[in-house]
Amino acid sequence: MPIGNTRSSVRPASAGRAGGPGATPAAHRGGARPRRTGGDLRAERLAPYVLVAPAVLIIVLLRLYPLILGVNFSFTGDGAQNGTAVGFGNYRELFGDDLFRTALSNVGLLVVLLPVAVAIPGLLATFIYLRVPGHRFYRSVYFFPAVLSPVIVGAIFNLLLAFDGPLNAILGSFGVGPVDWLGDPDIAMFMVVGVHIWATFGMALVVFLAGFATLDAALLDAARVDGASLPQVIWHVIVPSLSRTIQFVFVTTMIGMLTSMFGLLFVMTNGGPEGSTYLPEYYIWIQQGQMNRPALASAASTILFVIMLVVGLLQIKLLERSGRED
Amino acid sequence: MRQRAIWSAVLVVSLALAGCGSASDSGKSTSSDGKLVVWDFKSGEAFAKSYLDTAKADFKKKHPDVTVEFVAQPFDQYYTLLGAAIQSGKGPDVMMFNGGGQIRDRVDALVPLTDYVAEDKQRLAGWDAFTKDGTIYGGPVTLQGYPIYYNKTVYEKAGLDPASPATTWDKLVADCAAVAKAGAKCFALGNKEGVGIQFWLSSLGSTTLTAQEYDAWIAGKRDWNSANVKRIFQLWKEAGDKKMNSDGANSTAMFNDSFAFFQSGKAAHVMGLMSDVGHWQDFNEFLTPEKLGVMKAPIVTAGTTPSLPYDGGIGYAVAKWTKDPKVAADLVRSLTSTEALNAFYSGAGAIVADTTIDVSQAGPAAATIVSELKSGKPALHVALSSKTIDLMGRLSQQLLSGSITVDEVVKQLAASDQAG
Repeated sequence: MPIGNTRSSVRPASAGRAGGPGATPAAHRGGARPRRTGGDLRAERLAPYVLVAPAVLIIVLLRLYPLILGVNFSFTGDGAQNGTAVGFGNYRELFGDDLFRTALSNVGLLVVLLPVAVAIPGLLATFIYLRVPGHRFYRSVYFFPAVLSPVIVGAIFNLLLAFDGPLNAILGSFGVGPVDWLGDPDIAMFMVVGVHIWATFGMALVVFLAGFATLDAALLDAARVDGASLPQVIWHVIVPSLSRTIQFVFVTTMIGMLTSMFGLLFVMTNGGPEGSTYLPEYYIWIQQGQMNRPALASAASTILFVIMLVVGLLQIKLLERSGRED
Repeated sequence: MRQRAIWSAVLVVSLALAGCGSASDSGKSTSSDGKLVVWDFKSGEAFAKSYLDTAKADFKKKHPDVTVEFVAQPFDQYYTLLGAAIQSGKGPDVMMFNGGGQIRDRVDALVPLTDYVAEDKQRLAGWDAFTKDGTIYGGPVTLQGYPIYYNKTVYEKAGLDPASPATTWDKLVADCAAVAKAGAKCFALGNKEGVGIQFWLSSLGSTTLTAQEYDAWIAGKRDWNSANVKRIFQLWKEAGDKKMNSDGANSTAMFNDSFAFFQSGKAAHVMGLMSDVGHWQDFNEFLTPEKLGVMKAPIVTAGTTPSLPYDGGIGYAVAKWTKDPKVAADLVRSLTSTEALNAFYSGAGAIVADTTIDVSQAGPAAATIVSELKSGKPALHVALSSKTIDLMGRLSQQLLSGSITVDEVVKQLAASDQAG
């Protein structure tokens, strides 16, 4: 807290301030404004609450209340059991459902693939920063997919990856047999994640470029003078200098992967083949919209919420710790 | 931190114990007096205007003071939106449904129509798909069936007689060998959504299951261990293993990639629909009506008789929260009147529920389908719950990729069928 310290050090006279919030009115009463009525005082006391009220109400009514309602629904039944308490029945059913387990394990897969999703824009941004030939051109081209809607991206890749599509035609001309990119359960999830990375890495690239703007060029020059090779420059100079940017990109990419893959899944695979590309979001949508199981969907949403909460808290911890190191 | 953990534990436990409220609530009507709101996924389409105008005029005669508002919803989101409306207990008075699982899963929110539609029972076909436990919940507009279409041009190229398609499975396999030599596939198959197996099950059901097994299946007494039921899934696997299907079936969308594959003459057969999409009128875009044939299901089990599998396709139902169910039911009756359905048929090219309508203008394929309606039976897959159908879709993909056995498939389906 460097800012707070500075302020108190330049205003040593206002001792009342340092005494905490309880002491403030007393200081006022005895000092600057002695003739104040009781009504004014109450208004002043209430003012912060009134000012904060709209924000609190919005959070409570539109966020917390629905959240609690959703958690509450997850403990009730569906269909004939509508409205009756079933305890943890929905949760038991979820963990007994192969499909939901696949969805959860795919979340795990996303976490495993996260370093790749961060490394690609990081590496490309490095090349742009190091001014490879044509770097201006690449800078705009790399960002371009980020402005496309997932539905359009999905439709484009559906055509490219079709069994009789261009990618297989190219492979065929090299004598490699056709691959059912979106029809093979072992490959499909990687294709969808790959397309997601392709479609979104432009944003991370921009963040990295912004990070490079703060990089001390003298360090790079010094490294070069010392005869460091490109990999050495990246590993020993660029990565340590950009550690905060890298962490930020990790956080945003993870959130992006967990929350915005629905459009791609819907267009590219419909959760298939064999349910191999299900993610919790898609599962929730299917249960609520197609299977008419709102309570089960609430339970799945609650689990997704808990996962996001844990991931979010871990990331905040991580950012806090790195902040302290600075 | 510890206190926070205790508080959240208290919250979770109290919510778990209380479990009050409900995820889908039923409550009051949203419509004001003298107005009915209808939700559907058809009224936005160009052809629907004459149909709706006819139905509205008919309804106006009965209830001149009631206005009707049609709200077209996107089909992709339709049941999600409807689910949200049912949960809040507020929504349309009358709503469109697909027959089968979609309406049966939601009868809690619907008014029984059995008494209101008694007069229409004879005139219309397809009631079964809108009936649960003997109670009618919806009036059928179209009939949805699963005929096997074939491309006569491909037959000619393969040296087969287009006038006499195969009547047995073995003959069909032999014909398909000739088709393969001519450079085409036997079946255009799109199983990305897992829908292909549904059509397969229903199209071949009448000639694989015995009549008793078939009727028992529809009545809800399904013997998944029967050799004939297994046979259907074995044939599905066999067709995949013998490369009779179009390539990459598990990544091909049925709507409309597989139908496009069929229309362009790359496959000899397709198990299609008879209304809405993927049907005789759709195919006319590239295939002339004369080149499109409809064949009876090839006989798999000796002694069976092929019949056309069909059910009520789409229809209208009345929500529980409507003010006056009688008025809403009258609107359903107007929407299924002969004049309205005639307008629907000529506009959309759908086979409508009113079988008294003349379809001879629509070409030989449509005429064949309508002539087979009399002997037709409800489709096998429509009798299954949405959950079992969803599972069957995934298992069918596994069968095609060879990662599961037929025995395991019927075992899992039996378990799902008995649970739900």
